[in-house]
Amino acid sequence: MVFNRSVLARAALGPAAGAVLMVFMAAGAIPAYQMYSVALAAVYTIVVLSVGLLAGWSGIWSVGHPAFFAIGAYFAAYGSAHGWALEAVVAGAVTAGAALGAFLGYAGARFSVLYIALLTLAFTTVTLELVNRWSSVTGGDQGVPVLQLRSALGLGVFPGGGTEPQYLAVGAAAVVLALAVPARASALRMRLVAAKSHPMAARTVGIAPEAQSSLSFAVSGACTSFAGVLLGLITGFVSPDPFSLSFGISLIAACVLGGVGSVLGAVAGGIYLTWSPSLSTAVGVPQPVVQGLVLIAILLFLPGGVVPFLAGPARRVLRGVLRRPAAGHRPSPEPPEPSEPPEPLPALGPPAEGPALLHLEHVSVSYGGLKALEDASMSVRQDEILAVIGPNGAGKTTLLNVLSGLTGNGRVSGTADLAGRALLRTRATARRRLGIGRTFQHAEVFSELTVAENVLCTRRRIRAGDRDAVARLLRSVGLAEVADRRPTELPFGLQKRLDLARAMAERPRLLILDEPFGGLDAGERALLAQHIRRLNADGTAVVVIDHVLDDLFSVAHRVLAFDFGRTIGDGTPDTVLQDPKVRSSYLGTVGSRARLPDTVGERSLIRLRGTGHSYGGVVALRDIDLDVREGSVLGVAGANGAGKSTLAGILHGSLRPAHGVRESSGAVRTSLAPEGRGLFRTLSLRENLEVAAYAAGITGAALRERLEETVQWLPVRLRDRMSVPAAGLSGGEQQMLAVARALIVRPDVLIVDEPALGLAPALVDEVYDRLIGLTHDGLTVVLLEQSLSRAMAVCHEVAVLHEGVVAAQGRPGDRQFAALAESAYFSGGPVPATTASAAARTSQVK
Amino acid sequence: MSQFLLVLVSGVASGAVYGLMGLGLVIIYRATDVVNFAMASLATLGLYVAVSLHDRGVATVFGLLAAVAVTVAAGLLVRETVIRPLGQGQLFSALVVTMGVSLIAENLAGSVWGEQPRDFPSLVDGTVRWSGAALPVQSLVTIGVAALAMALVGYLFARTTLGSAMRAVAESPATARVVGLGAQRLARISWALGLGLAALAGCLYAPRSGLATTALTAPLFRAFAGIFLGGLTSMYGAVVGGLAIGVLDNLAANYVSASFRDTFVFSFTVLVLLIRPQGLFGTRTFQRV
Repeated sequence: MVFNRSVLARAALGPAAGAVLMVFMAAGAIPAYQMYSVALAAVYTIVVLSVGLLAGWSGIWSVGHPAFFAIGAYFAAYGSAHGWALEAVVAGAVTAGAALGAFLGYAGARFSVLYIALLTLAFTTVTLELVNRWSSVTGGDQGVPVLQLRSALGLGVFPGGGTEPQYLAVGAAAVVLALAVPARASALRMRLVAAKSHPMAARTVGIAPEAQSSLSFAVSGACTSFAGVLLGLITGFVSPDPFSLSFGISLIAACVLGGVGSVLGAVAGGIYLTWSPSLSTAVGVPQPVVQGLVLIAILLFLPGGVVPFLAGPARRVLRGVLRRPAAGHRPSPEPPEPSEPPEPLPALGPPAEGPALLHLEHVSVSYGGLKALEDASMSVRQDEILAVIGPNGAGKTTLLNVLSGLTGNGRVSGTADLAGRALLRTRATARRRLGIGRTFQHAEVFSELTVAENVLCTRRRIRAGDRDAVARLLRSVGLAEVADRRPTELPFGLQKRLDLARAMAERPRLLILDEPFGGLDAGERALLAQHIRRLNADGTAVVVIDHVLDDLFSVAHRVLAFDFGRTIGDGTPDTVLQDPKVRSSYLGTVGSRARLPDTVGERSLIRLRGTGHSYGGVVALRDIDLDVREGSVLGVAGANGAGKSTLAGILHGSLRPAHGVRESSGAVRTSLAPEGRGLFRTLSLRENLEVAAYAAGITGAALRERLEETVQWLPVRLRDRMSVPAAGLSGGEQQMLAVARALIVRPDVLIVDEPALGLAPALVDEVYDRLIGLTHDGLTVVLLEQSLSRAMAVCHEVAVLHEGVVAAQGRPGDRQFAALAESAYFSGGPVPATTASAAARTSQVK
Repeated sequence: MSQFLLVLVSGVASGAVYGLMGLGLVIIYRATDVVNFAMASLATLGLYVAVSLHDRGVATVFGLLAAVAVTVAAGLLVRETVIRPLGQGQLFSALVVTMGVSLIAENLAGSVWGEQPRDFPSLVDGTVRWSGAALPVQSLVTIGVAALAMALVGYLFARTTLGSAMRAVAESPATARVVGLGAQRLARISWALGLGLAALAGCLYAPRSGLATTALTAPLFRAFAGIFLGGLTSMYGAVVGGLAIGVLDNLAANYVSASFRDTFVFSFTVLVLLIRPQGLFGTRTFQRV
């Protein structure tokens, strides 16, 4: 391991402070009655550090540490009664603590934070019961004395309750602190934090969360047992009282107070624990009340803890006093611009003809009854970039999850072979070693590590060369300036670059990219395309899925089209969209126009002006102007990710737009049938309807009347099944129920988000017939559709949404508009949106 | 045989108490993502009020009603003042805050009513003889009252629109928002219901154990074991888990060792969870990327 000088300097602070403290103790500067308290604070510091680092680094909150503490103390008592050497006692306590901790950590990794709380609560309760009953060893509630322990290494004799153990405690705390500081900079901590902040992404870089939490709990338990030995020695007497569950709660309070995961915070916590009895005496309030109030106040007002809260200002003051400019490697305060030198764009190499690297045969994945992937077969050559396309729900992400081993509890069948190794039987954590790297749609970076650490944590041990290699890698993707920042401080585009850098870190043979272009602006997308080509030129095979077809096609050698979990087409970027099956999977196949009401009012019921919205830096919608006219059917068509659902939420009024205005004329009642139906699956059909009416304040007889009326709208086959849980309905029936639920409040405007999603064609027609039927009764409908031709067939007016912008708007009867709409759907308009090649392809699409 | 029957009845009676408490915990957890550690100590406050009223000659039944009312009021106060400001989805912070509340409430009870354990009035005394065993009537009443309360809760959730709305919010807060359900109001109702059940459970439990500031900690822990066994989000699971723990607890105390009943109960729970992490009635969740 390699540490820079500042780490070593900080590591030396602990021993230095310990030495100073010991000198004070020896010189009599600390009054005799406070000597014990100082030693106790040292012991508590070790315990708080164990609990706090376990929580901060592994995300495991334990209330079981009183038990570890007790184990150490009783080891000291038993050892002293049986003439054991100090070292033997420590070794025994540490081994016991480590073994129990490893078990708890392993078991805990299978559970959520609440289950771990119960597990450790049970551990403390059981240990306390054993301590109380096993009186031959523990003395029961009478307690047992710690006489003296002699060091086998010649450190001297430590009489229980004497002054020597007090020095030992302070010295031990200093050493533990000194070890904790370099541990912060180690790969161990990075891997622990990585496993905690995103277990699934951690698996893809070869980190197994179970092993990590087992290891960290073992170390934490061992340290606390060690502290228990010290406690036994400094008090000279052990009884069950100090190890109660409320001590466990106080420990958590001390951790949170000092700052979870902060080494200095642990010292603050230890001091607080030691002197909180004096504090409560001083303010004249019982101790539990003080502890409870401190706990609540800290969690409410200072959840980060006192030390991190003070550290920022303190550092600034210190810097001001020293009058030193900020050190060179400090990050600049404003987010830097991507400082990539303009390099010539590497041209896409010739179509790959190398040997096959990856080979999939008849791979299917099912979750319960749902088939996410059906009988997929494909192969990827060694130097190929393969693009996989298909509408939402086609099974693309499932395919990637099969490759990276993240299928969860889905049933996987078939065979996959990566350079002669059976892929499906390899654990997710081992696939990194086989040479598979992957990125995620939402850039699942480790939010609690810095940018550089996000990449460094892929190594088990960090050697000197590794930091340089990572620095070079970050420079190559334009992240060098922000290497010391947290990813959450960065815009989404940079987070995606980090995700890519992490996947590239060990030069994978196969790189899997999950929607790498989504959420990026034009410049960033061009840069990304450049990266992908460069990687490919260096010999990496790439499998990439995306909805942004222009960018995808500009980097791909070959395109594979998916729908309903199956392969439906295969070809080059230039030819694949000419396949009618592939085209219709996107555009839909609807022949005749539905019979719509002829008269449409001119009054706007809802009006959007300059409306935009973004989620954590990702722009979903920008500058939308839209009118929903009374009595009309307005279609909003766009590919997945174009911003439809966001627009639906804004029109509905349940989502407040970040920019611009939403006006509605008078008291317009809107109602939304959300994407994916959004039914309450455990509730029956009737309850689903009732709940919606109840939410609108309709109760009693009025509710029954509405229910009656709405049920009449449902198809007969559903009317007979009103008390069946909604989960038991087919997709089309669920959609019908979702619309009925929206209708029960008698809306003026009905907004339906992707009603056709995942439905068989016949059902789609039925759903649409019923929707159109509603418009004849004067209802205004907004329809959000992935299929452009379907929107064209059933709407008075269609707006085409492309990457958050209305790219075209008009009436389906207009021929010119029909052509315009199609090119707007795929590339944002007839004028080249991004690159010249995109325009060329657009003309082919026509 | 009569001994076994006695143990079984007392096990079911304890289990009914754990089940009621567990039901309260699950109702609150499902609605607001808070595991309410303070439930036991808030109910203890209610019990002390009941005892005080009893000492002044108020009928026991009214005392019980007062206990429920005080507990519910205290719980709502806690939720509005310290839980709600934490915000949504703070699982661990919320748990720890309720631990803090529990410390304060226990101490408050101790300073107002004293640390000395007291007797708690039972609704009925005496025993009935049945197939050779003298069964305490209080146990049978406990089982009856708990069963009635559980049936009422079942009716509320299964048959009323309010219950459907509460289940809807528990299943999907996001969809509930789209439909327009008032989450805060339903959360308050859930807290009131959960704490009312806890107070009722306390009133049924305390006649046997006596009343002290930490009298309800033991049943709370067993209720925890029960709900984890049952699957944390399932109301049936809470009842079945509580009953299982109650019966096991009494069997172990009588036929294995009375000194190691916690060890037995918790080891059993942890073992079951190691084999089936989602609990008996829980659903396995899968995180999608």
